Amino acid sequence: MSDESIPGLSAEDGLTWRRVFNHLAILVAFLTVWEMLTVTGIADELLYPRPTLIIYSFYSLFIDQGIVWRHLWITMATVLSGFVVGTILGISLAVVAGLSETARRYMKPYIIVLEATPRIAIGPLMLAWLGFGFEAKLAIVTLVCFFAPFINTLTGFLSADEDQIELMRSLGASKWQILTKAMVPDAMPLIMAGIRLAMASALGGALVAEFISSNEGMGVLLNNLAAVLQMSAAFAALLTLTVLGFFLYRIMESLESWIIFWHHDDSMRRVARKRQTYWSKL
Amino acid sequence: MYHETRAADGADPGGAVILGHGVSKLFGGTVVALEGATFTVKPRQFISLVGPSGCGKSTLLRMIAGLIEPSSGSLHVHGDPVGKPRRDVGMMFQRPTLMAWRTVLENVLLPTELVRKVTAADRDHALELIELVGLKDFAYAFPSQLSGGMQQRASLARLLQTGADVLLLDEPFGALDEFTRERLNLELLRIVAQFGRTTLFVTHNIQEAIFLADEVFVMTPRPGRIAGIVEVPFERPRDISLMQTVPFNEMVAEVRGIFDRDNK
Ligand SMILES: Nc1ncnc2c1ncn2[C@@H]1O[C@H](COP(=O)(O)OP(=O)(O)OP(=O)(O)O)[C@@H](O)[C@H]1O
Ligand SMILES: [Mg+2]
Repeated sequence: MSDESIPGLSAEDGLTWRRVFNHLAILVAFLTVWEMLTVTGIADELLYPRPTLIIYSFYSLFIDQGIVWRHLWITMATVLSGFVVGTILGISLAVVAGLSETARRYMKPYIIVLEATPRIAIGPLMLAWLGFGFEAKLAIVTLVCFFAPFINTLTGFLSADEDQIELMRSLGASKWQILTKAMVPDAMPLIMAGIRLAMASALGGALVAEFISSNEGMGVLLNNLAAVLQMSAAFAALLTLTVLGFFLYRIMESLESWIIFWHHDDSMRRVARKRQTYWSKL
Repeated sequence: MYHETRAADGADPGGAVILGHGVSKLFGGTVVALEGATFTVKPRQFISLVGPSGCGKSTLLRMIAGLIEPSSGSLHVHGDPVGKPRRDVGMMFQRPTLMAWRTVLENVLLPTELVRKVTAADRDHALELIELVGLKDFAYAFPSQLSGGMQQRASLARLLQTGADVLLLDEPFGALDEFTRERLNLELLRIVAQFGRTTLFVTHNIQEAIFLADEVFVMTPRPGRIAGIVEVPFERPRDISLMQTVPFNEMVAEVRGIFDRDNK
């Protein structure tokens, strides 16, 4: 930023505003064309509802009728609980496998078989075992969320830095200290990548589970709306899921830069300042 | 077999920090990494171990560090047979092995943290060491913000923080460029002299080995063994110009001679 620029509006700010403006202009143009196409009857309004109608459907789904809340809540509960259970299960099994050669040997064939099986295909079986309802959905999302954290955690442990461990041993570190102070943090970037993958597939898993097995949740709502050709409401529900997906993604992103701060320059500087304060006060 | 006979070697353990007698190491029962190493390291001596790849330099250091056990022979540190890692022996590797999620200060404090709660006095000691190795302004930097040479400086500070009086350095500056390596070697000499530590220093470079050491263990491979021990009489403190002198180069030739003799 240069010193001569107008206060509050540097050259860089100007460029950003110009970009934002361009994006908005394109979006508005796109929506207008869409609106015109349906108004003039070129596109079938029954299947491709007008943008203004979709906006109205948001109002009706969220405020007027308010039916979306219950479904949204159910889906989020499924996603989060399945994600938590699957991830914890995956990581803890990987820790066991990472620490014990024997456990690893006996687990390996099952892991390979399960890994080769499309997880979603197990859905109908889960349905048969656990019935319609929350348990089956939870089981499906758990299964979908299990693998990435499991494989990544195991990989992280097995590719542990040998020199680092040797150093810890030469300093007289206990097994527990080596695990907690060296191996786990060392594997953390990979573990975190696994967790992010799990979260990315959790929402999809929950929706598919709802398509095949449930009587409530966003998947069901979407199914029902599309089935009776309430397309503007279906679009509104879809966009709601987009927003949900976006927030889940952002949450995982900040979680990552918070946990793996040493991979992110901003977080690293923040932590460095905090540590400096801590050590100065000691 | 590993004998725990301290007196039977016949050597006087009183004056020696490290005492090896016929130390051998086999891996997997067939690979002879080191055979019949017999040597003495006296207090405050600087020993260089020089030799080609695979002659057992790291193996010898790791045995002294208590990371692996000798297959046969006897090896004593401060009069005790080696067995497991001990507080008064510290090791440093070719790679910095710093923890990326710890600041330089926290990396240096690691040895202390592993045995007790870190106090303000520990912190101050660590900060002094960080200054000593020339990282004064980087105590709160993370390793990824440091150059390779600076990272090795930090590992050196961590090694000194252990308080060990036997320093095992396995090619500590081997991955650095020539200029940085030369500078760090000189600083290492200054630091080791200041603290009066006993040092074993592994290198591939004959000049470097002689320049730094009081005694050079010349090692040869297949099987790995100590083929000769050369005393280095040059006065300390030494200057880099020593390497241009005739006596220095005669000594380089002498060490080369040991390798050549072994090759025939
Ligand atoms: N854990 C191990 N298992 C099997 N063989 C080993 C092991 N460690 C070392 N060796 C073998 O022992 C021999 C000596 O190895 P060592 O690492 O001590 O050599 P070095 O002199 O340090 O070599 P370099 O200069 O390459 O570091 C080599 O032949 C090596 O392959
Ligand atoms: Mg080596």
